[in-house]
Amino acid sequence: MKRFLETGNFAITEGAILAGCRFFAGYPITPATELAEAMSLRLPQEGGVYLQAEDECAAMHMCIGAALGGMKAMTATSGPGFILYADPYGWAIGCETPLVVLNSGRVGPVSGITGAPGQGEFYLTRYPTQGGNFETIVLAPNSAQECMAMTVEAFYLAERFRMPVTVLADQLITDGFEDISVPENDGEMKEMSFRVWPRKINQGPKFYPPSDEIDIAPVVLGHNTGALCSDWTPTEEGYDIEEVEAHHKHAYRLIYKVRNHRDLFSHHYDKKFMSDDPDLIVVSFGTPSRVVNSAVAKARSQGLKVGALRLINLWPFPDELFTARSKYLVVELNWDGQLVREVQRAVPKDSKVHFLGICGDLPTMHDLLTTFEKIIKNEPLSRRGWELEAW
Amino acid sequence: MEYKASELISKYLRSRKIPSTACSGCGLGMNHKIVVQAIQELGLGVEDIIWGTSIGCAGRQTFATWKGDGFAGTHGRVYAIARGLRVALPPEKHLILTVGDGDAFGIGLTHLIHAARSNANMTVIVNDNLGYQSTGGQYGWTTPQGSKTDSSPYGMFEHNLMSEGLDVMHILKGAGATFLARHVSMDGLKAVETVKKAILNRGFSLVHMPYPCPTNFASRELGSRNQVNIYRWIKDHAAPLGQEKEDTIWATGIWYDASNSRPEFSQMVWDTVDKIRRTGKI
Repeated sequence: MKRFLETGNFAITEGAILAGCRFFAGYPITPATELAEAMSLRLPQEGGVYLQAEDECAAMHMCIGAALGGMKAMTATSGPGFILYADPYGWAIGCETPLVVLNSGRVGPVSGITGAPGQGEFYLTRYPTQGGNFETIVLAPNSAQECMAMTVEAFYLAERFRMPVTVLADQLITDGFEDISVPENDGEMKEMSFRVWPRKINQGPKFYPPSDEIDIAPVVLGHNTGALCSDWTPTEEGYDIEEVEAHHKHAYRLIYKVRNHRDLFSHHYDKKFMSDDPDLIVVSFGTPSRVVNSAVAKARSQGLKVGALRLINLWPFPDELFTARSKYLVVELNWDGQLVREVQRAVPKDSKVHFLGICGDLPTMHDLLTTFEKIIKNEPLSRRGWELEAW
Repeated sequence: MEYKASELISKYLRSRKIPSTACSGCGLGMNHKIVVQAIQELGLGVEDIIWGTSIGCAGRQTFATWKGDGFAGTHGRVYAIARGLRVALPPEKHLILTVGDGDAFGIGLTHLIHAARSNANMTVIVNDNLGYQSTGGQYGWTTPQGSKTDSSPYGMFEHNLMSEGLDVMHILKGAGATFLARHVSMDGLKAVETVKKAILNRGFSLVHMPYPCPTNFASRELGSRNQVNIYRWIKDHAAPLGQEKEDTIWATGIWYDASNSRPEFSQMVWDTVDKIRRTGKI
């Protein structure tokens, strides 16, 4: 095991290499630029290719091309670039091309604040493209070390499910320096629960079975298998067809291959102080969860029965984690409230769900502890000017 | 050398997609045959070529026609996909892209320019039906000046990539393409010879091939779906390079040939990766 004091971007690069990624195409954007830079340094050393694209749309399409040629590929960006992935993301979903996409959230909309953390793409990662009729898989780490783990995991899931998998981070995790351990052999990878799935080649002639099966090898071109892939509704052989029934079969596969095999990744969550039916459950993901965990520990020491639920697997949304009849507080790095809507939907009917939103910075311990206390005492929450959104 | 279409079809194309579902009288099949015949004359097999297409008439009608491996990209992005694929494919595999004018010169022009810049080994056949015909017939970036289309009912009056002395080839040459040519689909065997050269260039090649669309373009501009009229109209407005007349829109022939003069993209990428691995520098 090698230890480094390095950034999340470094950890993601090393994770990708461990997972077998040998192709990265990207477009410089704060705060994912350092990831592209790290890839440009490290990939050639490992026999891999780094390419800079003319825009994010081209970057992800180039990754699709490399993946279709049999390589494990990855791209990374922030919100304004993620929106340009809309086109290729849909194509990769439809053609079932394994890829990994990293989105390091900053403050939006549009260019917004480039060097500050935000969580404005919670829903965008669920619906990254047009048309619907698909599920996405999204993993959200909260540390540099976990960035590495989730990158490895994303590559693993991308291969097994034949689809793009998104890692949703934020500026603080990708730019921040932390203690990072990089495994040096298979044994150490196993110790860290890193799973790797090799690229396989579909031999055809049926490339798109209308079933929810996983572990079907993806389409790889150049092996004279007669492989076909396109942006149209595919027949099982990959021919384009304009027929609702065929499309329904295809959509069934895109939705249910994920829904029916969630057990493969639904263990990616973290609970703290949750074993004694807490009066208040604080829900978060990514960087704010680190302050939430500290605040919940402090609240416990003050006698408040508060627990913390951190989501790592964001999509498909883990409804099963929200069975407790309790009060909930959702803490997010945005002012409009995104995760909170999903929590409101998932909790038992008579649960009260509150929201604490801050963007561009982390919530303070004071903000969190005051809010916990108010909710437990049934005191009303209110907005503090433009600074803090609470309801 | 003349080939029967049936021989080419049985050797190279999938019976499920040939004949295509193109409109009656569509000229795309002529372009398609020119490309397949060039492949045959070069002695290439099904396994030697990965066939990519775009969307629109040219993309959809040629997708999955090739017996070997094939793909259709999102609108205008196939040149970016092809660059990624080029890196991953063995160098001896040929990458042929049959695309439309809207795809290459409209939505995909940025990606096309960057494919030319990088000199990635691919042969792009731009099948130009003079506008957006699969959506019913709107003007595009090579629609001749003054043409009436569904979105230019008074005549197409904007500056265009193929009018007033402008030629899209200038852009591509400036960007670094190493083989550029133009033929109309009636050029037949002359076009076959050109496409052969395009395929043999280990770098970025593009052949621009205007073809007749009787259904939409001709019905609006010429007021007739009679295919003879549009075939004659295109032929009359084409002339070999150097023999252009006043009303020539398309100067045909090899426009620029710098085949194998610049290092090819994927070769350069892999050579560089190899050098960095061995020496730590380039």
